[in-house]
Amino acid sequence: MIHFYHVTKRFDRYSTALHDVTFHIEKGEFVFLTGASGAGKSTLLKLILRQIRPTDGQVVVNGRNLNAMKRSQIPMFRRELGFVFQDFKLIERMTVFENLAFILTVLNVPAREHKKRAYQALRAVDLHHKLSAYPLQLSGGEQQRVAVARALINDPLVLIADEPTGNLDPDLTREIMQIFVNANLHGSTVLLATHDRDLIRDSGRRTITLDAGRVIEEKMPTVERATRSEALFGIG
Amino acid sequence: MASVSLPAGETPSNTFTWFVREAIRRIWVSKRTSFLAISMIAISLFILGACLLVAENLERAVERWQGKSRATVYFDSEATPDQIRAVDAYLAQHPDLRSRRLITREQALARFKSMFTSLNDIVDQLDDNPFPPSFEIDVAPRAIQSKAFADEIGGLRKLPGVDDVQFDWQWLARLRRLIDLVDLAGLIAGGILAIAAAFTIANVIRLTMLTYREEIEIMRLVGATERIIRGPFILEGILQGTIGGAVAVGLLFAAFTLTRRAVATPQSLVWSFLVSGFLTWQKIVALIAGGTLAGWIGSWLSVRERVTEEA
Repeated sequence: MIHFYHVTKRFDRYSTALHDVTFHIEKGEFVFLTGASGAGKSTLLKLILRQIRPTDGQVVVNGRNLNAMKRSQIPMFRRELGFVFQDFKLIERMTVFENLAFILTVLNVPAREHKKRAYQALRAVDLHHKLSAYPLQLSGGEQQRVAVARALINDPLVLIADEPTGNLDPDLTREIMQIFVNANLHGSTVLLATHDRDLIRDSGRRTITLDAGRVIEEKMPTVERATRSEALFGIG
Repeated sequence: MASVSLPAGETPSNTFTWFVREAIRRIWVSKRTSFLAISMIAISLFILGACLLVAENLERAVERWQGKSRATVYFDSEATPDQIRAVDAYLAQHPDLRSRRLITREQALARFKSMFTSLNDIVDQLDDNPFPPSFEIDVAPRAIQSKAFADEIGGLRKLPGVDDVQFDWQWLARLRRLIDLVDLAGLIAGGILAIAAAFTIANVIRLTMLTYREEIEIMRLVGATERIIRGPFILEGILQGTIGGAVAVGLLFAAFTLTRRAVATPQSLVWSFLVSGFLTWQKIVALIAGGTLAGWIGSWLSVRERVTEEA
């Protein structure tokens, strides 16, 4: 699903964000991406989103070579992805429903379906009773769940999250992780960037570790995919 | 969760509805800057419209007088009845003169007083009637372009008692040049201001885009096309320009109505030159469309500068 072939990204002569990175993530995998601040995690995610292009090497996502992708093809490509950010990136002037309907408008979904689709997405994160609330009226955990609902509203082939639990306490972290695992069980490939070592250790998932722009370790999963997550995050 | 069907590249009606809603909301949210942009458009189109209005009224006046190709023979104030009769006899024989009327000094004074009612008090204070007698002559249209005819009638100046001979068509030609000048001045002033207004709109839209940069980033990340991202901004500029054009027409009509009330005398020259009628509907539509065009150009200038992303 996601393939990096000897990818290097240099922003200028003195700053190499990624150096000869190669890895492959198959369809339906749940992978953690970890590393210290400045290791290159965000650059790697930007490459997958086709926000930037590699200096050398190839990035292939869902069978598409992103280096060769035309600018006009990027929007359609991104509609196959979903993402969640540490700072939620919700639009404060819009209600929870409007934040989701806004995405549906962008995706050309007919207006008559907006309410139903938004309700379904919010129900999946147990926030269907907050349709009319504004983001600032919600707790951090609730805001992140809305952001996850927004990312999942289009049933993405790939779900990408950049430090989605970075601002949350352990209980809220557990809630959010349950949602990601659920999405993975429903068929989305999940790539989650975090430096929460406890979370990675307890999950037993495949982990790619970056350091100074290089892959220094690739740990394979230690348990069966669904059963382990069900046990760990209480999903049944 | 149900899957989304994505009609690639299509823009359903709800997207356009969203464009309109967003554009109106953004104008409302940025009231002050929108007001500035709309005012700029309105002022520039008001100036252009005022010039068009004056030119159109002058044009109407010219059209009214054009059918009456007329020459006027003015006598000295001291001209004797014999001298006037001699000129009358000469005019009666000329084949290119269709009719003639003698305007006495008293008739000339009465006509002036009816045309310039506001000056009546001054005229009444004069000791003597300053207007000379004259002959108004209707000339056959075929003779108007003839230099020989002009020379011949102009020769009347040499007759005793004749002070001057004037041809209306020369005056009309001068008026036509004036109309062209007013049109040109309006186009230049209005054009320069419209360009300035378009740049004002461009800057207003640029500011709005900065305000909404986070939303634009989110839209890009979820797969919005450039058309969907730029649509509300383009429409915002178009709406500002159209509103500016409509405001300009409204102000122009108000100014026209007030001037007409102030002038009050349909026979006066000011009335026939300036306020005999308002702009034709074609010119009204053109003025509003000019605002729309300036708004579209302004917003297009700002959104064509692609924000942030690497190619």
